[in-house]
Amino acid sequence: MGKYSEDPKWSDIDPLPTDEGGPNPLAAIAYAEDYEETMSYLRAVMAANELSPRVLELTEDLIDMNPAHYTVWLYRSKCLFHLHSDLHEELEWLNETALQHQKNYQIWHHRLTIVDALGEECDVQGEQEFVARMFEKDAKNYHVWSYRQWLVKRFQLWEKGELEFTEKMLEEDVRNNSAWNHRWYVVNGREAEGVKGVTDPEIREREIKYAEAAIAKAPQNQSPWNYVRGIRKASGTELAALKPLAERYASVERPGTVRSSFALDLLVDILSEESGGKQQAGKALDLLATTYDPIRKNYWAYRKSQLGLGSIETAATA
Amino acid sequence: MAVLSNEDAAQEPDLDKARHVKYWTRCLKTLLPHHYTSNDSNRLYLAYFIVSALDLLGALDTVSSADEREDYVNWIYRCQHPNGGFRMFPGTDFGERATAENACWDPANIPATYFALASLLILKDDFSRINRAGTLHWLRQMQREDGSFGETLVNGRIEGGRDPRCGYCAAGIRYILRGLREGSAKVNGQEVDDINVNQLVHCVRLAETFSGGLADEPFHEPHAGYTFCCLGALALLGRLNLTGPPAESPLEAPKNPEEVLKWLVFLQTELSDPNAGVDSEFAQSQRRSNKPANSKKIDEARDARKDTVHQEPCETVGVTLFDLIVDGAGMCGRPNKVADTCYAFWAGACFHIMQQPQLYNDQAIRRYLLGKTQHDVLGGFGKFAGDLPDLYHSYLGLAALSLAEMTGVKKLDAGMCMSTEARSRLPKLWASWNV
Repeated sequence: MGKYSEDPKWSDIDPLPTDEGGPNPLAAIAYAEDYEETMSYLRAVMAANELSPRVLELTEDLIDMNPAHYTVWLYRSKCLFHLHSDLHEELEWLNETALQHQKNYQIWHHRLTIVDALGEECDVQGEQEFVARMFEKDAKNYHVWSYRQWLVKRFQLWEKGELEFTEKMLEEDVRNNSAWNHRWYVVNGREAEGVKGVTDPEIREREIKYAEAAIAKAPQNQSPWNYVRGIRKASGTELAALKPLAERYASVERPGTVRSSFALDLLVDILSEESGGKQQAGKALDLLATTYDPIRKNYWAYRKSQLGLGSIETAATA
Repeated sequence: MAVLSNEDAAQEPDLDKARHVKYWTRCLKTLLPHHYTSNDSNRLYLAYFIVSALDLLGALDTVSSADEREDYVNWIYRCQHPNGGFRMFPGTDFGERATAENACWDPANIPATYFALASLLILKDDFSRINRAGTLHWLRQMQREDGSFGETLVNGRIEGGRDPRCGYCAAGIRYILRGLREGSAKVNGQEVDDINVNQLVHCVRLAETFSGGLADEPFHEPHAGYTFCCLGALALLGRLNLTGPPAESPLEAPKNPEEVLKWLVFLQTELSDPNAGVDSEFAQSQRRSNKPANSKKIDEARDARKDTVHQEPCETVGVTLFDLIVDGAGMCGRPNKVADTCYAFWAGACFHIMQQPQLYNDQAIRRYLLGKTQHDVLGGFGKFAGDLPDLYHSYLGLAALSLAEMTGVKKLDAGMCMSTEARSRLPKLWASWNV
């Protein structure tokens, strides 16, 4: 006795149960009765290639229980387009589903299909607001950031408040690496189309300043340090230009004043490029291995050996 | 400054092997609880976790009979698609009602196929029932023009994301069924085209990021899981660049292996509480509730150190040597996130694939997994400390421990995520196929 078997609307359907094929199937699950029933009806309508409003209800039901079912989403979208269903309604349903199943990939793929089909009819601001709601639950959700990147490109939102959006996110959490990555995308994502990012001196200046301010707020934060290094690499500028920044937070001479292991690491790279700086770089690596970043002691020793400087010396400890 | 001898601090926690065997035996022999329903369409990968975990624990042949193992193999073949490849579960098969018109809703699936082949290898199957020609022909059709692989082929369209998970599984399928040699191959008298290896490598190159890690697509955030998939795929294709600038012909990746390694090294973290505010986690000397017996001594030593260095907690570096000795340090998947059991594998395995396993701190990994996320009562591992175990984290925790040189677990092949013993059965199969 179940939801579908008792409903006259479904009486024409002969449900199709799962066939495990033999004894001792692997990873068999103690399914709830309603799931087994829904799956049996789903198989029956899929086998008949039925595209109808009741199929939309059935797939909604099944997706609620098993959102990772990879063909049910494709079947549902075929059905939606075949019936010329209201895609705005579909988005509203998806909002709820996405909030319930935050780590599911298929939901976002489906959303992208729907929003892409809506095109100019899409309420882009509504999409941005929904993304913001998702970030309230998890500000680093990978699917949501990927979707946000897609929105920016699909609807050309590059200069429509997106940089400010990253600033808002980083104000809430300056260590949100996803927000830093998004900023990189907004600034540099159109280089291939000829729109300059950090290769433009003014933009570069602005971005370095932004990262420096973030470092001042929390020096022991890897993200902005990666960001300034990335800028240097992408623009082909000298690493040595970052020396004053590194020295603001780390010193080999006065090890007691080190405020950031990332600054010290940057200093290693800068010093090892300087003539006669190798020994100093080695001392900085000793400090990292023994005092400021001992988790990575093996790595700092590896870096030291790459410089031809022998093993880590513990005497360097402050 | 108080001195802490290694002996005081480092009473290495143990692997509760009997409990892990019990956990996995239960997964093998009884129904998984209903909350795995949302993973019903991932059953082949759950199956692979179960079979491979018991293999790593050296218990597969003792907890099951030969007849049962034959049933397991039969169930995997039950998921083989008539035209090659495997489905993730029997749930899409229409049985007697299958027709050419509804075949589109019952496609073979790329990850399912890799997990099926891997499980068969672990179960010592002879592969005589594998539709090799069909699978390799289908594999070729699963590659897009840009080099990426999809998940399924439905109504002539390659469906699924463009991320390297499918690229990794595709490389694994190709490796198992035809080895490393490139170009078309003769399979059961049929000539079968190779995939476009160059284009797949090209795809990986595009996913390299400004900070060294790899992402799923250009400009997305680098991620340990995707980095594993990219490096693993390259290794299985014979196109992995380990040092210096990469070859251009044949094309290799990553472009800058040192930067990839450095990005990976920084994923090891003492942050382990997902509910703690980031700032409090970064502050020095956060005490944790489950202090070991020698914690007083450690506190004293820690305080002594604090006085020496004169740093503001909000600005200071995160971990102290003492945190590390007591709590260990796991891996996170992206910078500034907390450690999670599974990333001990995703990130740890990358070092092994890059042939630099000494670069990460494997002792700290063991301490983190055994002391924090291993479940004392049920066996298995949870995602975070105190979490209930689940199949995914329990398997990857065990795999990571094997890579971290834990005794009592079989040696793992990092690139294929199965025991080296299972992988070593491949050359004999290849010989039987003349590849």
